Parts: sequence; structure tokens; C-alpha cells
Amino acid sequence: MTIPATTATAPVPPATIDLRPVGRGRVVTAYRWEITKLAAQARTRATLAVCLVAPFVFVVLLDRQDRLPKDTLYGRWVHASGFATPLMILGFAAQWVFPLLTSLVAGDIFASEDQHGTWKTILTRSHSRTQIFWAKTLAAATFATLVLTVLALSCLAAGVLLVGHQPLESLSGTLLPSGRTAGLVLAAWASALPPLLGFTALGIMLSVLTRSSPMGIVGPIVLGLVMQLYAFLNGADTIRHLLLVTPFDAWHGLLAAHPYYGPLRDGTLVSVGYILICLAVAYTALRRRDITGG
Amino acid sequence: MHRPTPGRLVRAAVAVSAATALTAALAGCATDVTRPRVEGSIGPVFANLYVQQQALLGHPGLTPTAVATKPTCHRTTPGSHDKGAGSDWICQVGWTDGTGKHQNGKFELQVRSNGCYQAGGPTKIVGPLMIQTSTDKQVINPVFEFDGCFDTT
Repeated sequence: MTIPATTATAPVPPATIDLRPVGRGRVVTAYRWEITKLAAQARTRATLAVCLVAPFVFVVLLDRQDRLPKDTLYGRWVHASGFATPLMILGFAAQWVFPLLTSLVAGDIFASEDQHGTWKTILTRSHSRTQIFWAKTLAAATFATLVLTVLALSCLAAGVLLVGHQPLESLSGTLLPSGRTAGLVLAAWASALPPLLGFTALGIMLSVLTRSSPMGIVGPIVLGLVMQLYAFLNGADTIRHLLLVTPFDAWHGLLAAHPYYGPLRDGTLVSVGYILICLAVAYTALRRRDITGG
Repeated sequence: MHRPTPGRLVRAAVAVSAATALTAALAGCATDVTRPRVEGSIGPVFANLYVQQQALLGHPGLTPTAVATKPTCHRTTPGSHDKGAGSDWICQVGWTDGTGKHQNGKFELQVRSNGCYQAGGPTKIVGPLMIQTSTDKQVINPVFEFDGCFDTT
């Protein structure tokens, strides 16, 4: 996409292009390149396609069986209201799907330069390490946000189109009017963004530290599962509040008859903490690294 | 350039273990799942769902206030001090039905550490999983088993 655009503008100012270093020192330029690279990857496209299609397949399969997935919140209402489907999937996705989706890109975006031995190549261009770091981080965050948005809309569409827009039970035993419910469902999905970005930062950190894509991708999933296990085994609540999987439950407050936002506030703070610490470690490691090989 | 020396590693390890020990010491104090919270949640949730069930069965006009639920909850595990997540929570709920008669039922709760629980009621009083509405439709009985969540902050 970028190459034809350059050749198209080239004939107009032929001499000035070489004199002015285009995009020197700009994070935006590096960011655009990272996005272009991501868009060209089969893995990225496949992930987005799966997020788009999987909810519909899931609803069709669920519709065929009589047993209800009652262990997950809203599982018992999946046949009664289409709005229950996206909320049930949200509860389920927090277990390992969210860490997987984001680390597919975040865990690979730095390590892939090691794998291909291209660090030297990109750093001898007009961009500094700091700029490359922020460009890659922003690209990974963009992908995480995009995946969450696509999955949220697809789940909501699958539920409403295949099951219907019947009123939904709140978590307080009252019925929510269908007009307000779509907004609440989307708000619940949006509340998963801070911890999702936390896992993105975790993937970036592991990707930079280990210089290996498999570690960067599997690492956040394993850590996420360990945190789930800790919560499942009823570990001390003070520590559970500091885990990155706890904020994924913060949406429960939104679906109460009298909404409460305490978990959402705490969860966002915890997520921001993870993002800051992981990015600081990753940034320091990348700045100090001695890149001579490749 | 900055290779981690053994001294630095030891210092880092000491810092990490000190932080872990401190967090573990703090951890013993507070618990998110308490008796007042469980009782404060299941009462209104059951009242709301009971009103819904009665409306489905063709008895509209009941209000959660008129149902006036009175839950008393405890954990059956000795030494649990009625705190903490577990599948051993039992709630005795008393309420007033549509005819003004007093009802009482034992609910078994599975309470998770995140403040959400699944409650199952006595089939004899709350009815089976599926009920027939006044318009001859088979629907899920809202009070047979139900979910609820409370604020843990």
C-alpha cells in the first residue's frame, strides 16, 4: 500500500525527496510500518477472521444442545436471551482466550526481529530504539483493542441475530429492558480492555526479555492460567486483588440492578500498574541491550 | 554492558522475597466473602426472582417488598467463621408468598472468591427446573437455580 503511494507522488517533486529525510524521528512513521507489517501477516488476519466467525459457530452449536453451560455466569440464560451470549462468552474468554489473542501479536512483535535477525537493519534506519519501542508497543495495543472490538461486536450480533433481543436478567434478579442492555453488554466488554492491555504489556516484556516468540506468546497464557488457579483455589484475597485476571470480573458490577463500580476502579488501577511496570522493564532491557549480531 | 553480578542478583532475590513475605502477612487480614454480604445479596435477588416466577405462573402484582425475604446464612465447614468462598454456604430464607403465607427454604450456595454465587433452592417449594407459564409455555424456573453477585470492594 505504501510503496505505490510513494511512486505515485515521486514524479511531482523529484529532487526534494532525497534531501529531506522523510519521517525522521517520528514514532508515527514507524508505527505505520508496524501496522503494515501486522496487516500483511497471515496470523493477524486469521485471528481477526476467527474472532468474527467463531461467536456465530458457537451460538449455533450451543443452540443444538439441551444442556446449559450453567457453570459460567449467564450460561443458564443463553437460550432465553440473545444478550446472555456475549456475556457468557466474556466470562469464558477471560480464562485464557484474552491472553492468547493479545500475546499472538504482543509476544512476537519484538522477538520476531531477533528471529529474523533484523534488529540491526531497522535500527540503522532513521529511527531510534525509543521510537521503535513505542511504535511496536502502540501497534500491539492497537491490535489488542481491535481484536476486543471485533469479538465484542461479533458476539453481540451472533446473540441478537440468532437468539433474539429478549429482556435480560440482571445479576440482581430483575429484568433489564432490551433498549439499555446492548449498551450494558458493550460496556461490560469495554471493561476488559485495561486488563487486556495489561496482558499485552506482559507479552511485550516477555518478548523483549526472552527474545523468543514462543515464550512471548505462551508466557502470558501460562501466567494467566496460574493466576486463575490461584483465584480458584481461594488464595488470600489481598493478593487476588493484585492479579491481572481479577479485573476481567469487574463487569459484574455493571449488570447489577444498582450498579457498583468499585471493582472496575480497582481493576483499572491494577491493570495500569502492570502496564507501567512491564513496559518500564521492557524499555530498559531494550535500551541497554547490546545489539551487534544479525 | 550491565551484566548482573551475583551480588545484585542476591539483593534482588532478597527484595522480592521480602515483598512476598509482606504481602503474605497482609493477606491474612481481609476476606471479600462475608456473611453480611452474602445475606445482603441473596435476600433481594431471591425476592426479585420470586416475583418474576409468580408473574410467570399467573400471579402478578407481587412486589419484592411484600415478599420480605429474611435470609440467615452460614458455612458448614467448622472453623470457617462464616467467611470466604466455598461451596458449603447454606442460607435459610424465610419469605411471604402471594397468599400471605410464610414460607421457608434451605438454599445451597456455591460462592466464588470474586463475589458471585450460584444458589439452588428446594424443589418442593420453588418448583422444578422448567415451569409451565399461565400461557402454557415451558420456561426456565428463575428461582430453581440462580446466580447473583455482590460488591467485594
